[in-house]
Amino acid sequence: MELMVLLGVLVLLLIIGVPVAFALGIASLATFYMLDIPLIVGFQRMAASMNIFALMAIPFFVFAGDLMHRAGIAERLIRVADAALGRTRGGLGQVDVGASMMFGAVSGSAIASVSAIGSTLGPMMREKGYDADYVVNVSATSAITGLLIPPSHNMIIYAAAAGVSISLADLFLAGIIPGVLTGLLLMVAAYFVAVKRDYPRGAFPGWKAFILAFAAAIPGLMAAAIIVVGVLSGVFTPTESAGIAVVYTILVALFVYRSLTWERFIAATTASVRTTAMVMIVIGAAGAFGWLLALLQAPTQLADLLRGITENPLLLLLLINIVLLLLGTFMDMAPLIIITTPIFLPMTTELGMDPVQFGTMLLLNLGIGLVTPPVGAVLFVGCAIGKIPIEQTVRTIWPFYGALIVALAAVIYIPELSLWLPELLK
Amino acid sequence: MSNPLAAASRKVSLFAKWFAGVGLLVMTAIIAMQVFARYVLNASPAWAEQAALLLMIWYVFIAAAAGVRENFHIRIAIFADKLPPKLRHVVIILAQFIVVIFGAAMAFYGVELALATWEHVIPTLGISRGYAYAPIALSGIMITGFAIEQLVAELRSTEVDKLWN
Repeated sequence: MELMVLLGVLVLLLIIGVPVAFALGIASLATFYMLDIPLIVGFQRMAASMNIFALMAIPFFVFAGDLMHRAGIAERLIRVADAALGRTRGGLGQVDVGASMMFGAVSGSAIASVSAIGSTLGPMMREKGYDADYVVNVSATSAITGLLIPPSHNMIIYAAAAGVSISLADLFLAGIIPGVLTGLLLMVAAYFVAVKRDYPRGAFPGWKAFILAFAAAIPGLMAAAIIVVGVLSGVFTPTESAGIAVVYTILVALFVYRSLTWERFIAATTASVRTTAMVMIVIGAAGAFGWLLALLQAPTQLADLLRGITENPLLLLLLINIVLLLLGTFMDMAPLIIITTPIFLPMTTELGMDPVQFGTMLLLNLGIGLVTPPVGAVLFVGCAIGKIPIEQTVRTIWPFYGALIVALAAVIYIPELSLWLPELLK
Repeated sequence: MSNPLAAASRKVSLFAKWFAGVGLLVMTAIIAMQVFARYVLNASPAWAEQAALLLMIWYVFIAAAAGVRENFHIRIAIFADKLPPKLRHVVIILAQFIVVIFGAAMAFYGVELALATWEHVIPTLGISRGYAYAPIALSGIMITGFAIEQLVAELRSTEVDKLWN
């Protein structure tokens, strides 16, 4: 009964458009009241779930990525990708995916990726005769790779939601192969669509141009390297690594790229604070909510419910992923990571899935939700930049959805994709 | 909303933007300094990490309050937007009213939490643990005010101007 109130109030408030954090908060307070638990406990849980050292890495990740974005890293990464991939049929589509994967490493934000790559490479592609829907489809779907290719602040959110037992270093390593695989599959999709539409071939600019382009991008890519190496080596905590990356990024943007104006600096700071506040307040409210879910034994009840449908572990995993995909079409990634992890993680662990693999699966699954209507922030931003209505992209996006689903199925059913690298480097 | 109140709301929102931005920069400086102290000076200051975390909690709550005014919180707008205009109007007012309630609860229980823990001390910082809960109360007061402003704006079919872009 209390569980019905908790979930029912949440869904009702979400439907009428109450911000996710406050909907979680009110649903929790209503349930605390029903259970005769003092409401003050709710706010205590809220504060406690934000008062965690590891979470400090989130604003730093976001800040470093945003600074790099505003310092103009996207153009440099596009030049590298162009030199490497531009010569194939429909080469700029390949360039788009490649640049998004590199940008994903630097930024970790799919929205930043689609807006950066889409707004710089998009006009170039349109000039060369690529259709607007193709441009949006490629840059929106390939932005998802950045969620898996480390560093990614969503991995910190997942680690926080899952509890202390998961190391961020393992998650970073686990994301690499699934992220690259997703990118490669999207390249295949982009290639076949390009052949069918007879898009032009680019020219290879020569090794010298490639090396020059790569050299120009190295200072930017180093920011990502600092975080990844810092975390993997264990020399710095994730928070320290990300903090150093912020300082490094400011220095590179000021003295190497010389592109960081005062206005851009303020804009990056404000944007990072806004993202941090959005995410952290949801983490706080979800702390109280998750505490109640555990108290009311929601994971067990859901497991029983799903087991009533099937006992087959492979089908159960499929079922869980379908539920996540459906939720993802309506809701943003960060809140879903925080809400669904405590529900599904115990179940998948019982089915024998490693929590690290669950993490990559969850990120890719919810990432797909970012490019699917009715609510898909990354697709919407892509459409806004490409200046075409969402209906027009959705008509031709299916090959790319196909690639994403194949990637997701591979990540679900081939644990080695996620677990091989972390075990190798143990 | 009468002019002095709207002007005050703008000031508070701009203050929140600057407070949070400076908070992020100071937090960066503290962590950078901690790394420098540990690896160069071989002395790790015990207070640094705790201070950075406390600072983050403060600016997150302040910025999140401004988010009610600037309307940047994550929400699902699709269902409300599909409703006929009159019903949509009612639903938005209801949603804002719920935010008002939550803000008021944050303010009330934030004060209670701060008072209840006022005698406790955060060891590494030597200050009261109440400071970790005080921002909940402050944020709650701000959220209540901003959500009332949004509610009144919706009642009058006007919009609150955004200052964070």
